[in-house]
Amino acid sequence: MLNEERICIMTRMASYEAGEGKEDMPVKQYYRKDYVSYQMIRTLISSTISFGILFLFWGMYSMEKIMEQLAEMDLIQFGISILIKYVIFVVVYQVIAVIVYNRKYTKATAGMKKYHADIKRVIKLQEKEEKLQPAEEWE
Amino acid sequence: MTNILELREKLRDFYGKYEIYVVTGGKFILALVAFWLINSNMGYMEKLDNPAVVLLLALLCAFLPINGSVVMGALLILLHLWSLSIEVCLVAVGLFLLMFFMYYKFAPKNGYSTIITPIMCHFKLPQAIPVSMGLVREPSAYLSMVCGIITFYYVKGVQENIANFAAVDDNEKISQVTMALELLIKNYEMFVVIAAVCITAMTVYVIRRMNINHAWRIAGIVGNFIELVILVIGYILLGNGKEIPWIIGGIVLSVIVSLIFEFFLYNLDYSRVEHVQFEDDEYYYYVKAVPKVYMTEKNKKVKQITPKKDRFSRRELAEELDIDQDLLD
Repeated sequence: MLNEERICIMTRMASYEAGEGKEDMPVKQYYRKDYVSYQMIRTLISSTISFGILFLFWGMYSMEKIMEQLAEMDLIQFGISILIKYVIFVVVYQVIAVIVYNRKYTKATAGMKKYHADIKRVIKLQEKEEKLQPAEEWE
Repeated sequence: MTNILELREKLRDFYGKYEIYVVTGGKFILALVAFWLINSNMGYMEKLDNPAVVLLLALLCAFLPINGSVVMGALLILLHLWSLSIEVCLVAVGLFLLMFFMYYKFAPKNGYSTIITPIMCHFKLPQAIPVSMGLVREPSAYLSMVCGIITFYYVKGVQENIANFAAVDDNEKISQVTMALELLIKNYEMFVVIAAVCITAMTVYVIRRMNINHAWRIAGIVGNFIELVILVIGYILLGNGKEIPWIIGGIVLSVIVSLIFEFFLYNLDYSRVEHVQFEDDEYYYYVKAVPKVYMTEKNKKVKQITPKKDRFSRRELAEELDIDQDLLD
């Protein structure tokens, strides 16, 4: 006999596995702290590359200006000012990363909670069916 | 009104039944239009400037996630720029990398708006996008419009200054990079459009989430008005008044699109609002429940319960009752 309730739950689970679950499951392999820290490190790399590209663009765009001022420029001061800008840029992106990935983790937790609840229900229904089956056969 | 509501239900049913075909077809058409526009406007690489290539790529993108179309479009642009000038191409690579690392890494699910925005920009109607985005998406999605706009204006700028970029003199290579960057930094029209779309989308978002009746309608009206004002003032200040009819056209389209979105996704019946109050241990709740306008489809089905032949002849009835026919007179 087909158990409609079990089929409904299993369909919902399959649709979750194929859709949102694909994103949620890898996230839930980590503890929240580990996941967010891992993403922060990745963001640090990507924000460093972004800053590098922006710096390169700026350097090329104002090449003539820099060349003219190079002789009078205090290079240490110049380096420090760039470093400060880099730190601000990276910190802003780290804050964004913390917010975004914490939210993602919370969303994944909620999704997986439902999924696990569904698994439990399916198992219970299955056990119930198995208990009923020998009785039916007996009759 | 009843007919339109019925049509809505029919369209919803249709989408529900044939979702996979509708989505695949939509992705195919979007990719086709985007790639065709890239090829017809740039077309610097002759090998790629072929309708068969566009068709094949669009077919491939129809079966990929929408971000596949975005990546493919970016690659197509880069290849065309590569055959025009390596420096311009490198600036574009930097630009796309920046977009990826600074935005798409955090909000990867915005492929549709990234593709639709430059397409609408090409048809001079980008005004239709921000109000719709404000109505249906969260603020994190709005930067995808900005990425689309930047890409469009960069490509347009290259095209308008093609004579400068086609030069092959080695001494001019650095100045080519400077010129390419200038296309972005000194493109004030681009900044006006970016400011208009961001402010509009944010305004629409804030208003539509307010606890007021007809929030979506008010958000649409205010958003369109603000966008119109910013763009008209911006273009007048830029001394580009001849664009104003296009702006008005775009706003009219935007109004239509926002009404369609409202009809399909919001459409509440404010005549049946219910105010409910209840409490638990920690809070007192004041709830306002607004029912959705819903029309069940007219689905007349005549189900025949009795057999078709509902009248017995005298003879059959007599046989059924096992009596003589004459007794029935």
